[in-house]
Amino acid sequence: MTQTYSIGIDVGGTFTDFVAMNTDGVTTICKSPSTPSDQSVGVLTGLHDLAQRLGLTLAELLARTERIVHGTTVATNALLERKGRKTGLLTTAGHRDILEMREGLKPHRYNLRMASPEPLVPRDLRRPVTERLAQDGKVLTPLDEENLRDECAFLRDQGVEAVAICFLHAYRNSEHERRAAEIVADMMPEAYISTSSDVLPQIKEYERLSTTVVNAYIGPIVKLYMQRLTDRLSAAGYDGPIFIILSHGGVTRVEDAISLAAGTCLSGPAGGIAGARACARMLDAPNVIPFDMGGTSTEVSLITQGEVALTSERGLAGERIALRSFDILSIAAGGGSIAQMRPGKGFSVGPESAGAEPGPACFGRDGQAVTVTDANLVLGFLATDALSGGGSTLDRAAAEAAMDRLGATMGLDRIAAAAGVRRLINIRMADGIRLMTLRRGVDPRSFTLLSFGGAAGLHSVEVARELDIPRVVVPTVASVLCAWGMLASDLRYEVTRSRPADSSGMTDQTIQRVYAEIEAQARAQMPSLPGIKLQIERSAEMRYGEQIFEIDVPLDGIDFEAPALVDAIAARFHARHEELYTYASPGEEVDLVNARVAIIGAVDRGDVSRELALVMDNPTPIGMRHVHLSTGPAQVPVYDMARLSPGHNIVGPALVSSETTTVLLCHGDRASLTPHGWLDIAVAAKSSGGGMPVKTDHYQPADA
Amino acid sequence: MPAPVSAAGKPLVDPISCAVIQHRMSAMVEEMGEAMLRTAYSQILNASRDFSMGIVDRQGRLISQADHIPIHVGALPWAVRAVEDRFCDDIHPGDVVILNDPYAGGSHLPDVTIFVPVFADGLRQLWSVVRAHMGDIGGATHGAYNPQAREIWQEGLRLPPMKLADRGKIRDDVIDMILMNVRFPREFRGDLDAMIGAAHLGQRSLDKLIGEFGSATVAAAIEDFLDTAEANTRAIVASWPDGVYEGTAYLDDDGRDRQDVAVRAKVTVRGSDLQIDLTGSDAQSDSFVNSPFANTQAAVAMAVAYLIDPDIPKNDGVFRVLDVKLKPGTIVHPLEGAPVTMSTTHPANEIVEAITRALEAACPERCTGGWSRRFRMSVTGKNPRNGRTFVWHLFHARPGGGASVAGDGWSGAGEWHSVGGIKFGSIEVTEARFPLFFETHEFRPGSGGAGKYRGGLGSTLDLRVEVPAYAHTAGEGIRHGAAGIAGGHDGAPHDYCMVTNEGDVPLQTKQFGIGITEGTLFRIRSGGGGGWGNPEERAPEAQAHDEKLGLI
Repeated sequence: MTQTYSIGIDVGGTFTDFVAMNTDGVTTICKSPSTPSDQSVGVLTGLHDLAQRLGLTLAELLARTERIVHGTTVATNALLERKGRKTGLLTTAGHRDILEMREGLKPHRYNLRMASPEPLVPRDLRRPVTERLAQDGKVLTPLDEENLRDECAFLRDQGVEAVAICFLHAYRNSEHERRAAEIVADMMPEAYISTSSDVLPQIKEYERLSTTVVNAYIGPIVKLYMQRLTDRLSAAGYDGPIFIILSHGGVTRVEDAISLAAGTCLSGPAGGIAGARACARMLDAPNVIPFDMGGTSTEVSLITQGEVALTSERGLAGERIALRSFDILSIAAGGGSIAQMRPGKGFSVGPESAGAEPGPACFGRDGQAVTVTDANLVLGFLATDALSGGGSTLDRAAAEAAMDRLGATMGLDRIAAAAGVRRLINIRMADGIRLMTLRRGVDPRSFTLLSFGGAAGLHSVEVARELDIPRVVVPTVASVLCAWGMLASDLRYEVTRSRPADSSGMTDQTIQRVYAEIEAQARAQMPSLPGIKLQIERSAEMRYGEQIFEIDVPLDGIDFEAPALVDAIAARFHARHEELYTYASPGEEVDLVNARVAIIGAVDRGDVSRELALVMDNPTPIGMRHVHLSTGPAQVPVYDMARLSPGHNIVGPALVSSETTTVLLCHGDRASLTPHGWLDIAVAAKSSGGGMPVKTDHYQPADA
Repeated sequence: MPAPVSAAGKPLVDPISCAVIQHRMSAMVEEMGEAMLRTAYSQILNASRDFSMGIVDRQGRLISQADHIPIHVGALPWAVRAVEDRFCDDIHPGDVVILNDPYAGGSHLPDVTIFVPVFADGLRQLWSVVRAHMGDIGGATHGAYNPQAREIWQEGLRLPPMKLADRGKIRDDVIDMILMNVRFPREFRGDLDAMIGAAHLGQRSLDKLIGEFGSATVAAAIEDFLDTAEANTRAIVASWPDGVYEGTAYLDDDGRDRQDVAVRAKVTVRGSDLQIDLTGSDAQSDSFVNSPFANTQAAVAMAVAYLIDPDIPKNDGVFRVLDVKLKPGTIVHPLEGAPVTMSTTHPANEIVEAITRALEAACPERCTGGWSRRFRMSVTGKNPRNGRTFVWHLFHARPGGGASVAGDGWSGAGEWHSVGGIKFGSIEVTEARFPLFFETHEFRPGSGGAGKYRGGLGSTLDLRVEVPAYAHTAGEGIRHGAAGIAGGHDGAPHDYCMVTNEGDVPLQTKQFGIGITEGTLFRIRSGGGGGWGNPEERAPEAQAHDEKLGLI
């Protein structure tokens, strides 16, 4: 039987990763340089290479490909670099400043001398339209179409290429928005049009409007890219479905990604988190903290009971996007973080980063910055033949000289300074994780840290120790985790209806009807594909009558046909509220603010099929490395992760190197191999003397 | 905990341990804030985040804080000193102390403070402190904003420093007494528990930190980073020309018979020292516009925090440059017993503005145009949709922020005390839940003070109240707009009025029980921020841009 393939493609800043998985779950990977000006060019080049690796022509590979899942940073970059298209906004007369008011908020409380940001749509392109709906959706002032045409003509004459439409209470009645969209389409046939009732049909005008504006602003860019990609793939002979991974980790069709462009803003990192979720499943570890440390930043998220934490509280580049996305915390700490001792500022590591050119001192390109990577090199944890981005070897002498300079400013020698750099960066990352777990009300000690990203291995065990996290796992798929994760992602569509009823109007019948209606809507969106199992998830955002925040209440397991449905839902809410806030108020009025149905098309998840044999002999180091631990200089063994087998046990101090990262084990840490060939580390407790505190007993300040 | 010092008298701690300890301590107060946010009972507290956390040592020095509420933070050292004075060495592991008395380290009665001591080597070293604004604290009116109060006893319950827990045992009798004197005891208890929990979290984190580094190293690190903050602040002050600078800001009125109540700041810059003398301020009032001692100290600290570099940690080192002179019996240091509820906004904002006005001659590029004043309004009536009484507080129509060398002010970003930290609610949610209708809610063109950089705009709100109701006001800023700085013009003052058959009735800032008939329209125009620099120096493009956008 001929093998068929699923292909995952993740476009990153430097490389595009490809994973092809065949029917037996065997994966083939390939990397290809990204092409930022048109990412689809690099995608095709890489597919070519991938086909070659499989011994096929591109046309043969594509003919045997059942689906392509793709993560893209096109939307992300357009927003970050503010390279979206000129956008106009049509909004209810009397309310043209919702976007720029930002609900009254300004960041950085103690920084009063900062300029306010330019909104994505300047005030002169925010056009008031005569119309008004009441809070229950009734028309108070009919849409003035003549006025609308005038405003449209104005926007057209201003050269606007995208139009966002958001009217008050349109989540309750989309008629005015829909009619306005028709008129805009008529008068501006080339324009990308986005209505709030399509993008985010939910109560709260700022969130809905801002999300709609972002959608319009980046929509034309995403559309152009998707069309190019589809055209190129189709010209190369592919006629199967292309799925785009969304910020919430579900995948969707290209045409839906075009109309919900704002939903792809975290498409890139979402793949990595989806990959981490797949890893967590394979490890049978329900509570996992994915820890992705790169050159300039570290991304952290949270998987509890197998599910990734979602949020709709986020945005990007200062713009509010209220669509649900994976809750990803970015900490400005990475291998390239710069260490410095500034008079009057003290010692710091990051948030500034050395970047790629000239890069850290050890890149040997006359870079003066002392970075975390330099510290790792000086301490011997990193070999000089580790990649420096340009493929050349690292310059130990340059790193040592730089570390000497840094140490001299602090009255510390080279080794103590390097250890200090590591200590502070590890603390910064640990504090980020602690805050994130606290926000979610979970205890980090019951989690496994999943280490991926090139810089992670030398830090993840120390960070875990700082948090009393007992276990760290380093998967071998780390290098292509994003692309691999996409293949393991489900199709997911969500339909929400705001305020289906207030408490007085909430009857079993209304609830049944509303959920049935939105479920039908959701089902209509799901493409029929072979081998996909459909699954429905119902949930509700609810609050007590006088509260301001809603909480998300999963309604799984509630029988919607049974009597006393409203009571069952209210009981769920009280229980969930108690779980989150330590109390419930069963006597209080309960509001169901948003009813939500998600339809999930579960795809066949290929497993990494490598099951390794148990070997009981002692692992053989591939060499010894001279390093500096807290106990002093030492020779420690270096193991090659690819040559280890389940059954092997490694006791720290030791280094384990893999294709993508090097892992540092300190005194008391123990590592073994999972059946998948992943490194599984039992972290020694801090109190047991594990790790490497900075030695300061003999510290003498320079001027003492 | 005596800090080891070198022969040169410098604290003996390496820069790395110092950075780690400082970083851990600032992360701790953020963690305490997150815990508070997650566990607080009242959603109001959750929404407005009207609480603050601090680590303070036994001398009452502020060691670490997060960017919570500026007017809380500067008062915490005084609160700790009040506790230390009351109990001296009668403090033990497991104790929890409470206070709210504005005349013993508190700000106003609704702000309740919880203290948990941190011990090491058998000695009390630090305090983990939590302050939060409670929904109610008893007294004549709900929420303590009582324009009719002539004495603090009419504003609510006063709590001197008291032990809420003694050596680990909660004193239920004390808690019962407090709960009996507030209107929503269940909510109050929940919030109190959240505060105690957050304070304990801080204490446990500090225990761990001291356990790891040893109390001597922690003490040395504290001295080191306080000294660093002091040195950075002194370097800034030293760059200002020596001299005596004066500035005045006015309250519109005290809600009784006095208008233009002055806060006068005489600021003396000498080298790197800053003396702030408010003794020339007007006499205290018999209404709730008095700022008690600790609140005034906090307002002065807030003014200084705004002037220095944003990245200097706001700790005791910063405040060491300060020498604050106050005179008993003035509006900024009332004699015990005077009512004080408005003080955390007014005259706190006037204190900041008077200092800023004084220093504009010394460091114009650090002074921002005035941020606005707060004009509260609440509407209460019967909600026809559920038959219940509703109380709605106006947070919409945010006023403008001040301009600065960085550019035009932030429109709708608020007052000196909030500086962009107060979120107004969704209009759609408000219309759905209250019998209110927002005809217009936009920026108020022309309200920003003119200048080389223009003040941020205030807002325009046309609000229709669909049922008969009552309105109450408590605020400032209809006579005095936010100050223009360095030649900039003042922002437009607030202008709220009620449209009636007899014509427009302007609202006063301290009115209780304004009768509203069904369908009454309120025309609310909030003030703009102060401008910065001479308006004639404004770039022509900026002016043209404002015209194009309809902002002037």
